Amino acid sequence: MRVWSTPALLVICLSGAGLLGGTGLFLGALFLHVAPANAVSRQYQRELDAVVYPEFEQNWKLFAPNPLQQNLTVDARVQTIDGDSRVTTRDWVGLTAEDVAAIRGNPAPSHLDQNMLRRALDFYRTTHPEQDGAPVGTRGRLAEEYLERIALQRFGRTVGGERVVQIQFRFGSAAIAPPSWSPEQTDTAVQYQELPWWPVEEADYRGLG
Amino acid sequence: MSGPIPPGAADPRPADAGADADVGAAADARPQPDGPAPPTRFERLFDAFTARSWLIRQAAVVRIGIALAWGGFLLREWPNRRELYGDRSPWSAELAGRLIGETHAFTVLTWSDTRLWFELVYHLGLLAAVLLALGWRTRATGVLFAVTAVSLQNRNVLVGDGGDNVVHLMALYLVLVRCGRYWSLDARRARRRPPRGPVGEPRAVLDALATMVHNCGMAVIAVQVVLIYSTAGWYKVQGTRWQDGTALHYPLHLDYFTPWPALSGLLGSSLLLTVLLSYGTVILQVGFPFTLANRRLKNALLALMMAEHLAIAVVLGLPFFSLAMIAADAVFLPTAALLWTERRLAAGLAARTAARRGSGRTDAPAAERGSEERQPASG
Repeated sequence: MRVWSTPALLVICLSGAGLLGGTGLFLGALFLHVAPANAVSRQYQRELDAVVYPEFEQNWKLFAPNPLQQNLTVDARVQTIDGDSRVTTRDWVGLTAEDVAAIRGNPAPSHLDQNMLRRALDFYRTTHPEQDGAPVGTRGRLAEEYLERIALQRFGRTVGGERVVQIQFRFGSAAIAPPSWSPEQTDTAVQYQELPWWPVEEADYRGLG
Repeated sequence: MSGPIPPGAADPRPADAGADADVGAAADARPQPDGPAPPTRFERLFDAFTARSWLIRQAAVVRIGIALAWGGFLLREWPNRRELYGDRSPWSAELAGRLIGETHAFTVLTWSDTRLWFELVYHLGLLAAVLLALGWRTRATGVLFAVTAVSLQNRNVLVGDGGDNVVHLMALYLVLVRCGRYWSLDARRARRRPPRGPVGEPRAVLDALATMVHNCGMAVIAVQVVLIYSTAGWYKVQGTRWQDGTALHYPLHLDYFTPWPALSGLLGSSLLLTVLLSYGTVILQVGFPFTLANRRLKNALLALMMAEHLAIAVVLGLPFFSLAMIAADAVFLPTAALLWTERRLAAGLAARTAARRGSGRTDAPAAERGSEERQPASG
């Protein structure tokens, strides 16, 4: 072992103690964050959040406590206007169905198909917990604009040669049938939740190409 | 650099500890049988923390794996990059700005809205991934990798999944550790350089600091992996579907995670297999941290976990998530296996070099190269 001078030893010991303490505190914070809410994590909520967010997020409840047991889908339809101000309501388009078609047979699905709409829907639902669709907090508005822009990017500015003026979403939920050997009975019909029509303006298309 | 030690010299370290660790410049003189008093327990701990870089080859494997996972992802998404993170994204710069205003997440992409800046960051990220995998100027490249990866992900956090989360964390942790000492261009350059003479104390102090940071960083990486599996496992224990053994059936029928429906259907068609894999997954994830106390059991479970991730890569269509997880798991790979791989690779390389030169003497240089590679790299 090297023989250190006193100042060198001081520097090493002090920084070593700091590093060990910092590492211990950091890992302790991560542990308390992923553990179920408890007396300690409630007491130090603010400090724990300061360590974990935004750069050390931990989302490891992978398929837990239960895996998702429904196929969730997003459909959208638009209303267009022609030169004589006549409004046409177009057919529903399965946006999720488009994603699924792109994923089928693809060994490396794109985040564009596998995550974008799926997580936008998740974001919308967590920011709109009420049945009447009222947004919660500033993020509710973000979720609405994001969802709308994802759909508008796919529809484009015109449908059938006419300008898009309104858009409507419906969310489908279809329970996955239990395994064939399970005695459970489940209704697998799609349940729809329809959102109101949202106006579409030129500004909503900004940057969508 | 420690000099050659005669076989049988009094070495206070357990036989395999030296293999796990890289001896830094601070450990110049080891106690000899006729030297001063043997070190106390505290001195040995002090030495282990300040003079030895633990899990140094594992750090290299994590580096290569994470760099390949993220680099492969960036290549795969190259045609979609503007829709995901750039000027054409439905998650516009304005929306991202509003969210980042709340979260204060770091991204260089909000510094400028121009396409040019975005393309520069994306392609620098790709370059950083390639260079990090190769281990070229690893510390600087690692910083560039972390800055670009975190910037891209934070520009649109809403397109990420567990794989992105792993890359995000590991990119930051890798900055702290000596992940370029082995299996890197840096290591090759260091081998070709003449050996360094004795180092002065200021340099030695800096070396000791870097060693301590490395050791703390490796502890963070290891504990992070344990937390991932513990969280995934313990929350599953509470789920009714994992309890009744049908859990596996459901992801296999989620449209977003079935690129090969026939394969998924086949896998989920057997009662026994479904229950076995569902229970096995929970036992694996919950049990893994506790097996760290037993080398053999740990290695067996590690192999199972890596195999499960390979299966997930194909069946659920999550290749980059799985690669990132395997790369993170690699922190627990046994050093003996890494040394064996290293010797095989070195022998293969030497044989190929010799064959190209038309020389028949492949065995001797191969063996030499193998032992040379086990010398710690300097710098």
